[in-house]
Amino acid sequence: MSPNNAADPMLKPTMLPKSLRGYVERAFGRYKDDDAKRAACEAYMKDIITEARADGTLYTRDWDSEPLFTVPDSLSISKANIQTPTHASIPNYNKSPVRRSKSRWEPLAEEKMLEKPVSASNEIGKYGSWDRKTFSGYSATKDNSLSSFRFSGPQQRTPSKSAQRPMKRQRIVNGTGLTNNDDDASSDSDKEQSLTAYYSGAMALANNPEEKKRRESRSKRFDRGQGHRPDINYFKPKNAGPANLYTRRASALMLSKSFDDSANQAVEDIDWDALTVKGTCQEIEKRFLRLTSAPDPSTVRPEDVLEKALLMVQNSQKNYLYKCDQLKSIRQDITVQRIRNQLTVKVYETHARLAMEVGDLAEYNQCQSQLQILYSEGIEGCLMEFAAYNLLCVILHSNNKKDLLTSMSRLTPEAKEDDAVKHALAVRAAVTSGNYVTFFRLYKSAPNLNTCLMDLYVEKMRYKAAVCMSKSYRPTVPISYIAQILGFSNAADENGETELSGLDECLEWLKAHGASLITDNTGEMQLDAKASSSTLYMPEPEDAVAHGDSSLAVNDFLARTT
Amino acid sequence: MAYLSMGESHRRITDYLNRFADAINYQDGDSLARLFSVSSDSPSLLSLADALNVFQDANRLIKQSEKFSQFGEVVAPFFRSLQCYRLGNLVDAYGAFEKASNAFIQEFRNWESGWALEALYVIAYEIRVLAERADRELASNGKSPEKLKGAGSFLMKVFGVLAGSCDLQGKGPKRVGALYVTCQLFKIYFKLGTVNLCRSVIRSIETARIFDFEEFPIRDKVTYMYYTGRLEVLNENFPAADQKLSYALTHCCLSKEANIRMILKYLIPVKLSIGILPKKQLLENYDLVEYNNIVEALKRGDLRLLRSALQENEDQFLRSGVYLVLEKLELQVYQRLLKKIYIIQKQKDPSKAHQVKLEVIVKALKWLEIEMDLDEVECIVAILIYKNLMKGYFAHKSKVVVLSKQDPFPKLNGKPVAS
Repeated sequence: MSPNNAADPMLKPTMLPKSLRGYVERAFGRYKDDDAKRAACEAYMKDIITEARADGTLYTRDWDSEPLFTVPDSLSISKANIQTPTHASIPNYNKSPVRRSKSRWEPLAEEKMLEKPVSASNEIGKYGSWDRKTFSGYSATKDNSLSSFRFSGPQQRTPSKSAQRPMKRQRIVNGTGLTNNDDDASSDSDKEQSLTAYYSGAMALANNPEEKKRRESRSKRFDRGQGHRPDINYFKPKNAGPANLYTRRASALMLSKSFDDSANQAVEDIDWDALTVKGTCQEIEKRFLRLTSAPDPSTVRPEDVLEKALLMVQNSQKNYLYKCDQLKSIRQDITVQRIRNQLTVKVYETHARLAMEVGDLAEYNQCQSQLQILYSEGIEGCLMEFAAYNLLCVILHSNNKKDLLTSMSRLTPEAKEDDAVKHALAVRAAVTSGNYVTFFRLYKSAPNLNTCLMDLYVEKMRYKAAVCMSKSYRPTVPISYIAQILGFSNAADENGETELSGLDECLEWLKAHGASLITDNTGEMQLDAKASSSTLYMPEPEDAVAHGDSSLAVNDFLARTT
Repeated sequence: MAYLSMGESHRRITDYLNRFADAINYQDGDSLARLFSVSSDSPSLLSLADALNVFQDANRLIKQSEKFSQFGEVVAPFFRSLQCYRLGNLVDAYGAFEKASNAFIQEFRNWESGWALEALYVIAYEIRVLAERADRELASNGKSPEKLKGAGSFLMKVFGVLAGSCDLQGKGPKRVGALYVTCQLFKIYFKLGTVNLCRSVIRSIETARIFDFEEFPIRDKVTYMYYTGRLEVLNENFPAADQKLSYALTHCCLSKEANIRMILKYLIPVKLSIGILPKKQLLENYDLVEYNNIVEALKRGDLRLLRSALQENEDQFLRSGVYLVLEKLELQVYQRLLKKIYIIQKQKDPSKAHQVKLEVIVKALKWLEIEMDLDEVECIVAILIYKNLMKGYFAHKSKVVVLSKQDPFPKLNGKPVAS
């Protein structure tokens, strides 16, 4: 995605194609006398141009016939968008959020000028078209409850926009399918947009009496009492087994879609010294709205409400996007009120675990760094569990030997005795020596969520093992043996039925990696070691294309008739 | 401290100022250098510090005479730094010293030849040492230590000045100072753990045309090779590490035993990784006995001994950064063990010796008190073959390692194990 260029140079006449210049002139021409509208017009033009640049249609769009947008009369809508939702028990999602310009940190004055540039129906229509495309690429995720929601708004699509936003903004980096870069933050803007979809649909449901009843019974779960031990269900990843990597990949891809730099900042990086408040808000459920100025105490929840909110999230059946949003909101309320205690730790630990389960490494890393600080201040928490995660991350995710040595040397003697840490260290040794047998045995016996992190390396380890075996074994290796030692267990789906036997899964994997297979005279499938040593390969991630933009794939180009 | 009169203080300060001005006017680099070495705790500087703390208004003295005031930008903050240092306020001492150094660099740029390089070296050294102490003070007060990081930035600037100091012929006399500053930077980055920052300065030294490595002073070359060698060890680039550390070793003055020991500490693991074992005498001469058992384990194929040696000295090996390198020696130990089994089998029955049953290996490991099951051993065997430590193949059905009749256990011969 091209870097943002929201500065004025973009509107310089020399930089724009001639037809676009005409478009701009026509747009401004309508508001000759209205300065406010001209300013809003300018802001909106910048947005259009940025977007057009981003998806490469700047020079290809027919600006001459592009319809002009309207700048609405009232300025009052913008004010409402800056504030957080008011006291209604169900947040008022009727209005669609302002389509913000990319630099989120523009001073408030300018934001007031940015009136809603398009009428409400158009906004929803836009989201409608975008989210439809999201769904199509998303079917792999069992978790995807977004797809079950329809839009309550009109389905009008702005004709010019339908060509925009090719689905393949997903960035897939290396075989694991997850972004490696610690700087990639979970993008607020994208999460926000899909959440809007989620919430506006949810709103329709939320009001009917059955749902209300269900909500009540859910809240009764909180009365199980405090002290939720960590080993309750939300600990184990939904489907055990390395196969789950693919479903997790899908969600991670969705989350790591865009790299909007301004959204990189963690909730915690803002200067809160000036903004400490004591909250009075009583809502257990509250969306995340990033603060850009001093918060209104009536919108901030006090500690006891936050405890309940955390419990609500932990017990909620909703998907990660929802929980992530809620947790960020809780984190913000905590940070604003400078609460630094066991609740803080619990919140971060919860979020970290959830993030890890879905593969949202950016969010996980944010939480992990906060936790390290909190632990070092002596606040109690699951230190050992997270020390193990930290180790695994260093080993499996970066190849930095210095960091690894530092992490290992910092372990206290007590830590070295802890099971989770011992497990992580054993994984480390297995990875360093390339010992695949030990690696997959450790996978089976992994405590806590260590498997989630090991998942990042499973593909690599299997490939290394296959290559090694192809070179060392002669003449053949039984597939059943390979399946067993490389952790292809019989994976059961949610209904408890065995979907794929480990053997079949292993066969599929081997085929996908170019292995040469033969059947011996007893009918057993074998790996032809010698042949495989020259045919094995590590496949490219599915939709990667040589030049990076698969919407410009050669085949697609050749298939076009115009 | 004996009573110090105003008169005596005045005398000491003007005395220093005179020496300072003279050093510069007569381009006496060595004298100038001595005037800056705060952390050396030399009697003359300490007594000057006392004088400054008594007199309190040294600035007036500096401004009094043109001879002194032209260097006021350097001397005034230097005096402040010295005073703070004497009073034990290391954080302010560093801050003031950096200011003085900055002003010094501005002067240094304008001086033609490299006469003041010795002074520059002292300043670079002091910057690092004072920053380290300042950070210790910050840490002990619960604050975050950031002075050393700042020192790194400052020295990068100094490096830039030296690198950019070319005259019309394109080669300036000051550039030979760059390696010393580089080494100070290395020390800082290693201390901070930010060794990746070394890359840019290494690139400048090794690729910029204005630098000719052979022209640098030998002392600096040895230090440079030592640190770059250590970086290669971290990256497990053993041939390069061997080359650089060996260079440092051969060019290091034999009398500098502590330095030799430091070089050997890293060279030995590297040599072990390419199959070269040190003599026991060497380890004893330089007090590197922590490697004794490791060498023994390699000779005997004793996996248990290797593991216990690693564990016994774990902290030390982790801190110096050689732990991962030593751990990798496991494969060589396995190789030795298997070779011994092969030799024993050969003695018993030469015709069948090249076939080693997996269960025999399992038993051998059991004798070493190492419990491994068939699958695990099979995996190790596969890895050994894959990495060319054993020539042959593994027959899964019969669970037998079939070794090549010729040279089934190739020696490393100076090359690292294939990765």
